[in-house]
Parts: sequence; C-alpha cells; structure tokens
Amino acid sequence: MSMPIDAWTKAAVNAKQNAQCLAVLFLSLFLALPQRLVAAEEQWILDQSTLTYHVSHPLHQTEGVSHAARGKGVCHEEQCDFLIAVPVKSFDSGDSNRDLHMLEVTKGAEFPLVTVRTRLPESDSKSATIHADLEVQFAGQTACYKQVPFQLTPQGSEIKIAGTIPATLSDFKIGPPTLLTLPVKNEIPIRVEMTWRRQ
Amino acid sequence: MRERMAKLAACAVLMIFSLATPALRAQEAAATLSGRVADSSGAAVPNAKVSIRNLETGQAADIQTDRTGTFNLPKLVPGDYEVTVSVQGFAVKADKVTLTAGATLTYNATLTALPAEPQPQSPASSGANASPGNAPSLQDLGFSPAEIKGSPKEQALLERRTHMLKIHQRLGLITTLPMIASVATSINAGGRDTSNTDRTVHMILGSATADLYFTTAYFAIRAPRVPGTRSRGPIRFHKAMAWIHGPGMILTPILGALAYSQKNNGERVHGIAKAHGPVAIVTAGAFGAALLSVSLKF
Repeated sequence: MSMPIDAWTKAAVNAKQNAQCLAVLFLSLFLALPQRLVAAEEQWILDQSTLTYHVSHPLHQTEGVSHAARGKGVCHEEQCDFLIAVPVKSFDSGDSNRDLHMLEVTKGAEFPLVTVRTRLPESDSKSATIHADLEVQFAGQTACYKQVPFQLTPQGSEIKIAGTIPATLSDFKIGPPTLLTLPVKNEIPIRVEMTWRRQ
Repeated sequence: MRERMAKLAACAVLMIFSLATPALRAQEAAATLSGRVADSSGAAVPNAKVSIRNLETGQAADIQTDRTGTFNLPKLVPGDYEVTVSVQGFAVKADKVTLTAGATLTYNATLTALPAEPQPQSPASSGANASPGNAPSLQDLGFSPAEIKGSPKEQALLERRTHMLKIHQRLGLITTLPMIASVATSINAGGRDTSNTDRTVHMILGSATADLYFTTAYFAIRAPRVPGTRSRGPIRFHKAMAWIHGPGMILTPILGALAYSQKNNGERVHGIAKAHGPVAIVTAGAFGAALLSVSLKF
C-alpha cells in the first residue's frame, strides 16, 4: 500500500511547520532561561568591613574596632537575605585588659559570634539610602532594630554601605561594666562601614 | 614567759575561730535552688544547662536537667544569683534570684523555641537554589564549627578573672587613702622636732597601706591568665609600674622601721634608713601612675 503524492507533500509541510515551531520554542527558552538563572544566582559577598562600637564612661570614651566580619547575601524573587557575622574576640579597643573584660561581660567565650540578619528588596541596591530591619544575635540574646538607615555609595560592581546600629547593653541583657566603680552608659552605638561585591 | 605563751595561744585560738566560723556558717546556712525546665507547651526539656553565678562573689556552678527536666543545686551560699538556662534550639533564658539561708528556692523556666537554623549550603548550590527559606548560614560564611561553638569553660575562666580584678581595682582605690595620709604625715614624722605620736601615726598609716597593698597585689597576681592573650595598650604600663612600686612597697616599711627605731633612740636618721623617704615617694608615684594609666585616657 502506497501514499498518494499529495499526502506526502502535506506530511512534509506539517513536519516542516512542526520543526519551525520547535525551533522557535527552543530559541525562546534559550533566551529566557539565562535571565532567570542570572536572577536566581545573584549573590553579594562582603569584601571589607569596619565595625566600631563606642562606649562612654565618665572618664573614658572608648572605641573597639573589628575588620573581621564576614557576610553574604542571597537574592531570590527580588528579595535578598543577608547574613553578617563577626567574632566578638576580634574587636580591638587598644587595650588587652579592656578587651578581655568586654569579652567577659558580653559572654563572648560562650557566644563567640555576633550575627546580623536582614532581608532587603533587590531594588534597594540602587537607592542612596536604605532602611533595614536588623535581627542581631549577641551575648545569647536576640534584638531587633527596625528601619535602621544606611547610606549606599555604588562604586562599579561594589557598593559601600555606612550606618549606625543604635544598640544598647540592656537590649542584650548585659550589665554595664564599671571602671573605678562608675558604670559605662547603656548606649553602645555600633558604626558599620562595609563594602559589598556583587557575584 | 608563761604569760607571753598564753597570749600567743589565745591569739592562735582567736585566729582559728575567726577563719573557721564563716566556713561553718556557710555550711549551716546553705541554700538550695531547684526547679524544672520546660518548653512553651509545658513538655520537659532534658539536658538543658542551668548555670548560676553569685553576683557578689562571682562564684559559678552549673548542672544539666534530667529526663524529667528537673534540676537541683544544693549547698549554695545565700545571696543574689544570676540563673541562665540554655539548650540548643531554644532562646537562652536568664533571670536574677535571691537565695536565703537554709531555704530551697524553686525556679521553673519556660523556654522559647528558636526558629529553625538555615541548613548548611555549599557556595555553589546556594545561589541557584536560593529561596527565602535558604538564606545564608554561618557555614556559608566559612566559619568552622570550632569558631561557632562556645566554650563555657573559657567563659567561667573570664568571669573568675574579672571578679578577681574587680576586687584588685577596688582595693587599689582604697589603698590610695592611707597611702596619701602616710605621705602627708611623713612631714611631721621625719623632721627634727617630731613627736613620738607623729611617728606612731605615720607608722600605723604606713602599715595599713602595706597590708592593703599586698592584698591588692594578691588579687592581680592570682587572677587567672587567658591563654593566647598578649598585653596591649595602657595595661602594659600599669603592669610595668608594678616592677617599681612592688619592690618599693617591700623596701619602704623596712627602711621606715629602721628610721623609726633610730628616731626613738634619740638618734638622727642615718645610714640606709635615710632612703626611706625617697623610696616611699618613688613608690607612691609609681602606684599613682599605675592607677592613672588605667583610669584616664592619654
């Protein structure tokens, strides 16, 4: 049994149309997929950081500085989750005795890291100022700071972020350390300066 | 001779009695802290760490809850304590309690569960599979388990160190009072026309200074060292000054005793005893500098 020539021609045209459809489908998938992959894979890495806590005492104004923070941000569906962690031990106030005392009152040996978590819209990276809700874990306690302002300065593929977290000792149930029986102030603002790199 | 021996024996008995009494009293009037640790549903939390710290003495102890979530800490010195309850998966709970002599205080803690920690991810997988549920974790940041894990033992060491140094600091401040008074009274004690009373007052103040000084020094010397820590900053100067005022505080009373004896014999202060004044001034100066170095920022 053989097919008539018309039927062969019709079948050949259908096959050609199907192939074109498939080609268009593959092409559209090929064009669309990488964008989706790029969007899903966007990450931010903390390149450099300077965290400075400030302690006020009637006789002293002390600052402790750390450059040891590590951080990462993972973006998905236009939201980025950031995690920053810094060892409590890494803060240097210029005096080893004071640093050990700080480590003791903040339970730094038992809870060795300070962690900060936040979620930001991806579009915030284009703003000059952002307001972040921060969840800070420190000394075995968790404190939340709402709408903390940070200034953003884009520099090529990097962004510099600067701001101050209005932390207090009581937020983390830390008894104020004393010097010559005089306690330090409850406020310990933490100045944050970070450089983030898009990956 | 017999009378002297009797006096000595009486002193010894008095000393033993004064040393033994607080210990006996502490044993007799010991307090107990007991209780139960549960989660928000009321279910027992076993193996939770219950730590207590005496807020006055800094003495610390800890215990783990048993299978029923209960714990019992007997033989505690009455006073104000900080109680901390910690266990993985729950927020740390801390409270202050007061233990009274001979009583058992029941402390029940209800812990709040923490939200589940994000699962560890490899850097390669974390991007493509990123979702709000798999935010970065500490392992993603490259922290090793040793860096994340706390050390209650090291914390206890730090607390003991701080406690001893706080006493050192307070005693050091108190020592300055008789020291200043000794320097002030030395003007009347060392001159040509000095009375026995002036010298005696100076000697008593000097002795009080020396006693307080060596007690102060004891708490600094016996404070535990933290391994791997090098002295930096003003504390180095503070410690360096101890090499001057330490020997000075040994020499000053010896030279003072010689000068006192010479004066009482109607002699002029002579020989090595003449160094009493200058040594005392250098010692007081070094002590003051050590105090200021950790009190004021230069």
